[in-house]
Amino acid sequence: MTSDSNSSSSDSSSGRDDRNPDSGSEPDPNPESIDQSLDAIENQLASISMASRSPTATLDDDEEEEEDQSAEQLTIGNGSVEEEIGVAGAIDSIEDEHIVDNNNIRAELPGVIAESPSFEWKNISEGDEVERPLSPNSSGYAGERGSTSGGDDVNDDEEDTEIRVVENDGVSGSHEQWVSGKRYPDEDDASVSWRKRKKHFFILSHSGKPIYSRYGDEYKLAGFSATLQAIISFVENGGDRVKLVKAGKHQVIFLVKGPIYLVCISCTEEPYESLKGQLELLYGQMILILTKSVNRCFEKNPKFDMTSLLGGTEAVFSSLIHSFNWNPATFLHAYSCFPMAYATRQAAGAILQDVAGSGVLFSLLMCKHKVISLVGAQKASLHPDDLLILSNFIMSSESFRTSESFSPICLPRYNAMAFLYAYVHYFDIDTYLILLSTSPDAFFHLKDSRIRIETVLVNSNVLGEVQRSLVDGGLHIEDLLMDPGSRAGANSSHLGQPRPAADSSGRITDGFVGIGGPAGLWHFIYKSNYLDQYVSSEFSSPINSLRQQKRLYRAYQRLYASMHDNGTGPHKTQFRRDENYVLLCWVTQDFELYAAFDPLADKALAIKICNRVCQWVKDVENEIFLLGASPFSW
Amino acid sequence: MASRRRVLLKVIILGDSGVGKTSLMNQYVNRKFSNQYKATIGADFLTKEVQFEDRIFTLQIWDTAGQERFQSLGVAFYRGADCCVLVYDVNVAKSFDNLNNWREEFLIQASPPDPENFPFVVLGNKIDVDGGNSRVVSEKKAKAWCASKGNIPYFETSAKEGFNVEAAFECIAKNALKNEPEEELYLPDAIDMAGGQQQRSAGCEC
Repeated sequence: MTSDSNSSSSDSSSGRDDRNPDSGSEPDPNPESIDQSLDAIENQLASISMASRSPTATLDDDEEEEEDQSAEQLTIGNGSVEEEIGVAGAIDSIEDEHIVDNNNIRAELPGVIAESPSFEWKNISEGDEVERPLSPNSSGYAGERGSTSGGDDVNDDEEDTEIRVVENDGVSGSHEQWVSGKRYPDEDDASVSWRKRKKHFFILSHSGKPIYSRYGDEYKLAGFSATLQAIISFVENGGDRVKLVKAGKHQVIFLVKGPIYLVCISCTEEPYESLKGQLELLYGQMILILTKSVNRCFEKNPKFDMTSLLGGTEAVFSSLIHSFNWNPATFLHAYSCFPMAYATRQAAGAILQDVAGSGVLFSLLMCKHKVISLVGAQKASLHPDDLLILSNFIMSSESFRTSESFSPICLPRYNAMAFLYAYVHYFDIDTYLILLSTSPDAFFHLKDSRIRIETVLVNSNVLGEVQRSLVDGGLHIEDLLMDPGSRAGANSSHLGQPRPAADSSGRITDGFVGIGGPAGLWHFIYKSNYLDQYVSSEFSSPINSLRQQKRLYRAYQRLYASMHDNGTGPHKTQFRRDENYVLLCWVTQDFELYAAFDPLADKALAIKICNRVCQWVKDVENEIFLLGASPFSW
Repeated sequence: MASRRRVLLKVIILGDSGVGKTSLMNQYVNRKFSNQYKATIGADFLTKEVQFEDRIFTLQIWDTAGQERFQSLGVAFYRGADCCVLVYDVNVAKSFDNLNNWREEFLIQASPPDPENFPFVVLGNKIDVDGGNSRVVSEKKAKAWCASKGNIPYFETSAKEGFNVEAAFECIAKNALKNEPEEELYLPDAIDMAGGQQQRSAGCEC
């Protein structure tokens, strides 16, 4: 079965908000020894020039869409960099909306296709002898006109037609508003806008055929894709492997997975380990859709074109890439649990356990990206990374929402070569059930199981509790009191209760907008190494906007990478103060704590608060974690 | 991942240095020609979209360097090619003699599944030079060689005049397409739950 049968998504919405589940693997750091290869590349493939000069505009690196806009001109594989530099400063911000109707490049292609039923060869670029190549060469063609001049033109056009719509300043934004699917599908590597995007992801085959690009049209990027393959294969030929190329502010990260090459080009200043981890997840997402058996197609036929097998899954990839910005599960390798009363979770777990006996490999009850309960058949364990890409796959595919579905999926950490069969059913807009079976004939059995589960969930009001808990949220740092003695009993340490309008220190908690915790505590993430789960506090002032949240996650991500750096670590604690935060990290055998404070916070007090946070988490652990019966601990 | 099915064809251009590979590309993709000679370093990559019988094709053209010192790049470049274009200069006998080497080198390095039927196209370029007076390789001779190699299609071209370039590439694309394998069934493994086929689980296995 090809992926076609998995009701995959053509367009779905919802980036979703939250923080959550995912997994424990290791970012392995090794950005070494590319220097020689780099030299070699530079010398021999001079026409593939990796350049990133021209730091032009310096954009704030935090906007939700901000990866779309690069501060610098990305000039991989363009022969004539200089010309580019001249115009690079022209555009300093390109927003989502407006590139849309500008140059004829995009209008042209569909037009021709639609209107000419000809059986003749037709050059699509006909009538476009002007200075704008439809399909530009990507690598700075040494000939008379490279894509450079094309780039200039596009640039001009965009300047003319561009309207700067500043929206999504993020003050109250939510990830749900994020538009999924491919954006800027008509760009290619000659587009200035494309070159300015801050973070590109590419998947290509070992023969250089494009499979996926985050931005732009894969086919128009065929030349660029060839350039990437040439670099990777060239280094490979020398018995070496290229991992990272630094070019000015840009990092080019390569990941080779047999016949599949993955590349990230980023100027977001994320650590190498983080970006490599993101490529691993992207690869995992692809395997989830196709299984690793796809490698056999390449063995039989090296020129195999994989794009058709992935038809309709663009939203899955773009949603995953989007989650790198807001979902700490993507770098913590742990999953997060939906906060709810212990008894309610027990009730849900019991019925899942019940069906798990009858040929169901895994049963998962999820709310958005968070696990309400999860049960595996004996000896079956589910990796947090698999959980992440599975829930991403389901949530980004609109068709799962509309009806019960049965779809082949592969859990790469469970068995990368084979499909499992997922029965998916949404109980309400946020809450859904996944039943995984090894049998392609299990649909009706799983459907019956779902009906049994649903009956129990309704009777014990689990679904109602979920909705209520969604409103209440999880851990609010305002509830963490300076003085543990004055804690208002079970009230503040209990998540299942409605939150009081004012906490006992007398401060008003205004709806969802918190006011920050004691001693300047702004936010924290606590990861239990034993459970492979983490809990993240609700955002509160001043981390209100998406932009601030993303910036904080990036800071955590850097912190995580530095704490887990094999070269210098492992470290136990880290206290770091910069103009944005005081960040405190504490890693023990049992847990990892990441906390952000006001940049003026007192160090001793901050440490004290961290101790308090750990105690607090322990106090409420049966409401914020899935304890026992976790297949992770088998 | 386009909505409508498209086809990408990887086309490798080979031939001695100076026979006009880059100029042919440039004429075909950009409709430009320059008398100035610039040696290609390593390889250049171009894309060109063409339409044929209601389908859109993207030609991914690998314009390689002819100089011998770049030949070590071969394996990396040739993998997964859909078509190989051999170019020689009708005014230079050596460049024609070398076609055999280029062809064999390609077949060795790319090792296509069915070398006998791998699609090649031969282009005799620079027929415009000196009004054809400096020509040393006759059309007959070239066609005879092509016939002996399994009827390789042959075109005489002038990158400068733009003569026959379009036709040659049309043929290149058609040939590449002919070689397209049947769509295979895609069948991953099945999991036997009892057999414990499970791979190492990287999760915490305390």
